[in-house]
Amino acid sequence: MAKKRPQLSLDELHQLKWLLGGVLVLLSVWTVFYLEFDAWVLMGLATAGVLAALARPEWPARVPAGMHRLVFPAVVLFFLGDLWVTGEVLPAIVRLDILLLLYRGTSYRKKRDDLQVIVLGLFLIVVAGVLTVSLVFAAQILVFTACALAFLLVITLVETAEAGGPPAGAEARPRWVDVRWGQLLARVRAVTDGRIVVLGVALFLGVVGISALLFLAIPRFQLENSLFFERFAAKKARSGFTESIQFGEVTEIQQDTSVAVSVDVTDRSQLPATPYWRMLVLDEYRDGSFRLSPALRLASFTRERTGTAVHAVVGTPPAAPGAPVFWTFYLESGISRYLPLLGTFAQLRFTEIQNYRLGAELGLVALRDEPMAMTAYRVEGMDAGDTMPDAKLVAALRPGARPGLVPVPARLLRLGVGEADRVHLQRLVQAITGGADLPAAEFTRRANRWLGQRHAYSLRPQIAPGPGDLLVRWLDSSEGGHCELFAGSFVLLARTAGFPARVVTGFKGGTWNAYSNNYTLRNSDAHAWCEIFDRAAGVWRRADPTVGAGNAPAETVRGEAALARRTDRSWSARFDSLRVFWYRRIVNFDQRTQVETLRAVKQATENTGRQLRALLAETVEQARAWLAEPWDGRRVAKLLAVAAGIAAAGWAWREYGRGWWRDLGRGSPGRRLDPVRAAAAGWLRRIAESGARGADEAGVWADLQRLRFGARATWPEPSAVFRRARQAVRTLRRRRATRA
Amino acid sequence: MSNFLLMNQVSEAKGALDRLRASMKTSIKGKDDVIEHVLVCLIAGGHLLIEDLPGVGKTTLAYALARSMDCAFSRIQFTSDLLPGDVTGVAIYDETAREFVFKPGPVFASVVLADEINRATPKTQSALLEVMDRARVTVDGVAHAVGAPFMVFATQNPVDYEGTFPLPESQMDRFLMRLQMGYPQPADELDILRIARTSYDAIALTPVVTRAQVLQFQGLTAQVYVEDSVLDYILRLVTATRTEAEFKAGASVRGGLALRTAAQARALLQGRDFVLPDDVVELVTPILAHRLVLARQTSDALEERRVVAGVLKRILAALPLPR
Repeated sequence: MAKKRPQLSLDELHQLKWLLGGVLVLLSVWTVFYLEFDAWVLMGLATAGVLAALARPEWPARVPAGMHRLVFPAVVLFFLGDLWVTGEVLPAIVRLDILLLLYRGTSYRKKRDDLQVIVLGLFLIVVAGVLTVSLVFAAQILVFTACALAFLLVITLVETAEAGGPPAGAEARPRWVDVRWGQLLARVRAVTDGRIVVLGVALFLGVVGISALLFLAIPRFQLENSLFFERFAAKKARSGFTESIQFGEVTEIQQDTSVAVSVDVTDRSQLPATPYWRMLVLDEYRDGSFRLSPALRLASFTRERTGTAVHAVVGTPPAAPGAPVFWTFYLESGISRYLPLLGTFAQLRFTEIQNYRLGAELGLVALRDEPMAMTAYRVEGMDAGDTMPDAKLVAALRPGARPGLVPVPARLLRLGVGEADRVHLQRLVQAITGGADLPAAEFTRRANRWLGQRHAYSLRPQIAPGPGDLLVRWLDSSEGGHCELFAGSFVLLARTAGFPARVVTGFKGGTWNAYSNNYTLRNSDAHAWCEIFDRAAGVWRRADPTVGAGNAPAETVRGEAALARRTDRSWSARFDSLRVFWYRRIVNFDQRTQVETLRAVKQATENTGRQLRALLAETVEQARAWLAEPWDGRRVAKLLAVAAGIAAAGWAWREYGRGWWRDLGRGSPGRRLDPVRAAAAGWLRRIAESGARGADEAGVWADLQRLRFGARATWPEPSAVFRRARQAVRTLRRRRATRA
Repeated sequence: MSNFLLMNQVSEAKGALDRLRASMKTSIKGKDDVIEHVLVCLIAGGHLLIEDLPGVGKTTLAYALARSMDCAFSRIQFTSDLLPGDVTGVAIYDETAREFVFKPGPVFASVVLADEINRATPKTQSALLEVMDRARVTVDGVAHAVGAPFMVFATQNPVDYEGTFPLPESQMDRFLMRLQMGYPQPADELDILRIARTSYDAIALTPVVTRAQVLQFQGLTAQVYVEDSVLDYILRLVTATRTEAEFKAGASVRGGLALRTAAQARALLQGRDFVLPDDVVELVTPILAHRLVLARQTSDALEERRVVAGVLKRILAALPLPR
């Protein structure tokens, strides 16, 4: 063997252990970032403490020994006090865990303390993973596992190295605390065998891959429902779609580009060019804000139901040719309790039992609570058009209908502004319509144009303070405004002109993720628009008055052409596609999709095999045809060039590639032993250990020596020699056993 | 094919060297290890320094070797008044031819016994050492090649230092090996007494190998394969002598090369075309000991030899063998 690989000293092992332990503590306490528990202070303390202990490992030695005895009662007191004050068990346990990690991360650890770090860290990560079921968790547990494995390895090495000697004390100032991390890392690099690292990583990835396969193969159950502590977690709302709109600044939402909803659709051609994902209808304007009126809520929403399937056939949904189209929505937590939908639908199915209320005519579904975790639902027979029939309203508006029975029209026409403002609005409508009695579509067109001429788009509108209604003041000015102002003003104008109108909030547009083939809606896609009732057609007609959002001709295009315009191939799309993969395959996973997946995998392998065979046959056919062609100088030259290229590649591998592979195993100066030589050395050792050699073994012994130390050109066939060596070892052992 | 030829040659060489060994054993009783080392030295193309008391068979050894291989043998008894010309030879004026004619000295032989080399003046010593190094003599600007093979047996008395000029360390380095004869075992000595030879000239030996064969074996030695890990082991040994606190100076680069060549020679002697770590281990003390200078004073040469051998043994034990 060449130079013996240098080994880490005991001190260096201790230093490495200290470093890995610190990293584990940091990894686990950082779950607080997405755990949403109130443990920020502790997390900050733990981070700072562990970082300090890593930077200055000698500092823990300065803590007086008596302090360590106080730690246990202090921690218990802290935990009890926490429980008493907050009354919540799980957050208190998490805080206790972080506190213990802080202590373990900033004091010298014995072996059992090291194991404790792993267990405490694992607890935090698992709690976070179960609560959030997020992609971060998957990444984190991978990193944590790798670190923990390395940590365990170092612990074992330390134990082996310490064998016989006195164990390092936990309280005293150990020798190893004078760390130079740079030097240590250089040493670690020097002693690390590149090939072992490569193999280790490959092994780890293999284990991860097998775990993933097992994960796909085993029957699933819904984790979220079976674990009680889901309700301990509280998540903040981001875009916060609620039952009312305050006309404030929406800049914050616009800048939040995190994913709000991901949508899968079985037939992409069904996607409108610019989809409007409706979540909430706001019909009542009062005190400067639009809201969902209690009357509408009572009239249009069913009583709360519990179940997984929502049937909401309104009239007859347009019969789509061919297979039914399914839309699968993955709604992130913290968005809203109202589900984004394109319009009325035939059936909606949740992955798990939900408490919901259905507004069938409005095309809305509301959950009882804002969901804590990602909510997935699948919609069938959804109407993605820009009109929505409303039979009730048609009936109510029919001459002779009893007004008391259906109070909808009056509310849909109520302005909710003062008398002066009403007069002012009428003047504005006069300016828009020119006094003519226009159909709804024409009014929409003119009003949009009128608004667009007077107002630009702005996220920070400057509305002058003054008496009267805010929207009317804005209409009067030439200030820029955002979608909510445009939509609200449009509704006021339409109602003044005698059209029932309402504000709709939700998402507009979104991007098509080219990697995972799904629609992605971000919080910045949040939008408000209007629906104006077209008496002639008896339908609600969508109107988007926001400047720049006008219905261009291209907007009517559906399917691929529209998708092409919205396709996102950015890096963030790649990451989002991972998240969607996670949702599709792991979170929203029931028996059926599992079977589908397995079938798809089977199909894919079969297809690949078939394609490979076809490819092979084709290649052979081509080669035969090529050989059959008449030969000339050019073809011979081409053939020679290819042969030369292959030879050059082989030569390059011999010259550089093999050297590279050998260098990878080098780590430190000194050549590695040839595998045959190493094997021969092993057999020599085994024969030597197996007892006294006789004349029978002389031949194999000499051959092994030749394999080990002789010139390669003079080697006998190694495998034959090793076979004989195995027999020799067996014989020798048997002989020794019989002698004994 | 060349490897096959080499294997053939190796077994051929082993046969011839076995004969040589057997032949020497007939006149040198009970000194198998010394004979082995002498043979190593011979086919490694090196020179030998024998330090021992007078009358233990040094001359007999050299003579037996020379006679066993059909080579010219000469003996130079070094004294303080010996001149360089007495060793190398001189050019004398030939009246009839009217020119200077070179009259070869006693070094013009294949096996030269330089007895009590430390009794001569440094000037004379260096004349011999130059011959050892270059295998030729330069007199009046004309180079004369000495015999081939050429091997010098130099002897020193390690005890009687009165009126001697000890060889400088740099000169010691030119000897491939330093050996001790030591007294024979009682049984062997009894044999010697029984035979009762009066002088070494009375030893009747017939040559068993030719000069040409010896030269061929020397060429073969250089072809014996040394695996990288064995080279590395040699390097570590040599480095260990340089970092050893007991030594003022460690082994030179030439010392490492000598160890390598000697190991190759030993492998050939045993009929192998490759070197085993054992070859190196076996030869460390005879090859390296005389090249090392102790840091501390010792009472005499024998004491120094013991200390150096002890340290080398410790170094060998500390260095793991190539697996």
